[in-house]
Amino acid sequence: MRPLTLSRLLMHCAILGAILFAVVVIALKMGAVPVSLYGLVRDLFHVALGQASQLSSEHQLIVFNIRLPRIFLSIFVGASLSVAGASFQALLRNPLADPYVLGVSSGASVGAILALIIEPRLALAPAIAALFTPVGAFLGAAITVAAVYFLGRREGQIDSATLLLAGIISASFLSAIIQFFMSTLTGGNYHGFAFWMMGDLSTPQQPIVNWIVRVGFFVGAGIIYTTAADLNLLLAGEKEAMHLGVDIRRVRIVVYIAASLLTGLAVSVSGAIGYIGLLVPHVMRILFGSDHRILLPTVAFGGAIALVIADTLARTVVSPSELPVGAVTAVVGAPLFLYLLRRRLA
Amino acid sequence: MLLQQTSARKNTSVRRKLAAFLLCTVPLSFSVHAQSTSTSPSASPIYKEFVDEAGRTVRVPQSVQRIISLAPSLTETIYALGLQDRLVADTDFCDFPPDAQKKPKVGGGLNPSLEQIVALKPDIVLLAKSFNRIETLQALETLGIPAYGTEPHTVQEIISSTERLANVLGAPEAGSALAADLQRHLADLQQRLSGFPSRRVLFVVWSDPLISVGKDTFIADALKRAGASSIVDSSQDWPQMNLEEVVRLQPDFLVFSGSHSEAGQNDFDVLAERPGWRGLDAVRNRRFAVISDAVNRPAPRIVSAIEDLARQLHPEAFAPHSEDEKEKKTPPRAEPQLSSTAFESRAADPGQMEACPCAP
Repeated sequence: MRPLTLSRLLMHCAILGAILFAVVVIALKMGAVPVSLYGLVRDLFHVALGQASQLSSEHQLIVFNIRLPRIFLSIFVGASLSVAGASFQALLRNPLADPYVLGVSSGASVGAILALIIEPRLALAPAIAALFTPVGAFLGAAITVAAVYFLGRREGQIDSATLLLAGIISASFLSAIIQFFMSTLTGGNYHGFAFWMMGDLSTPQQPIVNWIVRVGFFVGAGIIYTTAADLNLLLAGEKEAMHLGVDIRRVRIVVYIAASLLTGLAVSVSGAIGYIGLLVPHVMRILFGSDHRILLPTVAFGGAIALVIADTLARTVVSPSELPVGAVTAVVGAPLFLYLLRRRLA
Repeated sequence: MLLQQTSARKNTSVRRKLAAFLLCTVPLSFSVHAQSTSTSPSASPIYKEFVDEAGRTVRVPQSVQRIISLAPSLTETIYALGLQDRLVADTDFCDFPPDAQKKPKVGGGLNPSLEQIVALKPDIVLLAKSFNRIETLQALETLGIPAYGTEPHTVQEIISSTERLANVLGAPEAGSALAADLQRHLADLQQRLSGFPSRRVLFVVWSDPLISVGKDTFIADALKRAGASSIVDSSQDWPQMNLEEVVRLQPDFLVFSGSHSEAGQNDFDVLAERPGWRGLDAVRNRRFAVISDAVNRPAPRIVSAIEDLARQLHPEAFAPHSEDEKEKKTPPRAEPQLSSTAFESRAADPGQMEACPCAP
């Protein structure tokens, strides 16, 4: 492991940040409605100078009120999923772990579907009704996280293997419940939920929800980063880490809760988008090594870049229709994962 | 705060600096977004307010010139109202009348492109609860685009929904004329069918697995209007049926819907070969009806599908001499050729339907 220096860390982050910026500009240009590069640069210039009022109303609406919030959402959802995925892979010492392996997405789905069933029965103001699904999903995720935590304990503390089994079984149990509820949904709700299950970023979220996702990302990722050195030692094995002075109990609980928070927030606004949380950590490990002090920030950037690209494809491939972004990540992700697997074996 | 505290305890300078770096990026990313949130479309002078069928209040310009339809049923309704010139875009699935296929598309009903919709500057976007996602409705509302949702559950509600929609779109006369015509057709039909026992039918939405319609759907209501009753008594909209239960209930007829009659015929032949289905009298005696897939759409054309089904299930009600035997007073316009469509007879109304190429 090469020694970590602040300049190396910042350089990696700066490079990835520049790539992310370039991807965002390209994503802003691409879409069902053509926007010229010149027009886009001019508009960005206006915005940078604080002259947003000079934009044409159409550009304003399409580029800055539809595309940009969606790209921001992609950035934070992608970063959250990747950081959560890297954390679970380290915590469970299992390369197959992803943010959903412990049943968080299934729990969120149950919460979301209950919200969809209950919402029409309460006459709510539209602004509150729009919050119903994300809030329901987050509650579902939180309850699942708590349940899996208690099921996954052995002799009073979390045991990786027990936790993994408890998570997988909970996920499959919850999937059965989802199937049951889905048969009771009708019309647009059914379609909407089927979309949601595949992972979808096309629904603009309320500003408050966007804020929660952003702040939640920095809080969750920041907390996980405080354990980065311990996660490195954990890679050597739990006993070894313990002998080296790592408070394994604390690390497990902190990482488990923070990573679940990240996953829960991401899932509640976008449904279960697969492969980002599984693949990005692997790719970043190949590129930058497995020192979590450098892996976690690069994974965050990588996840953001990957999801912005995937969502841009989802918006444009079958334009003017849209694909669920989860379909894009799965189609690209599964072969890529196989490639990485074969490469490792070779 | 938490982040700073924990990192301080660890006393690693790298971490602290990184935390500071991360925190610096927060206001940066937010400030860009803050620029983009405050907008509303350029205000047109006069608005009217309507309550849509989702119970939402929608502000619609006084004069609606640019309509986007996000459901095939709504596209059909717009054509039936003669407002097709104001329809600026519809969905990939809007295939009737054929002219609707030539309209610009904004994608599918579930996944339309919001930016394409915005770019077309609609005065109003129409959605159907059975075909669109509630999220799309909310998203349009957030963007300040008037979005009007419809949700009819019965044939009567389809007609009143059409009339209300005509009112919203500023064509109340066309709406009441169309509604009156549809009502007349239904009343004629009811008169013809009175005295005939209703047929017990199984409406086949999908054959493998067997999906039928629940009692609260407009299709179940359409069956009733056609002198039939669904053997399915489910409160789910699209219940999956147990074949044993169907055999026990022994429907008089199977009813299929298809874009052309051969499709329904094929469906029947495939089913008849399946084990278990031979236990149905209706299969053994080849008693089935195939009607236009208009029955699946909550639009005015459903009335013609209802008439078509009634004709197949109760041919004796339409035979001229049986009319005489029963000494029914039939209105002069309700001749047997009425088969074609409700639209065709509407074409006689001056100034309404001549642009509609939907007549066969």
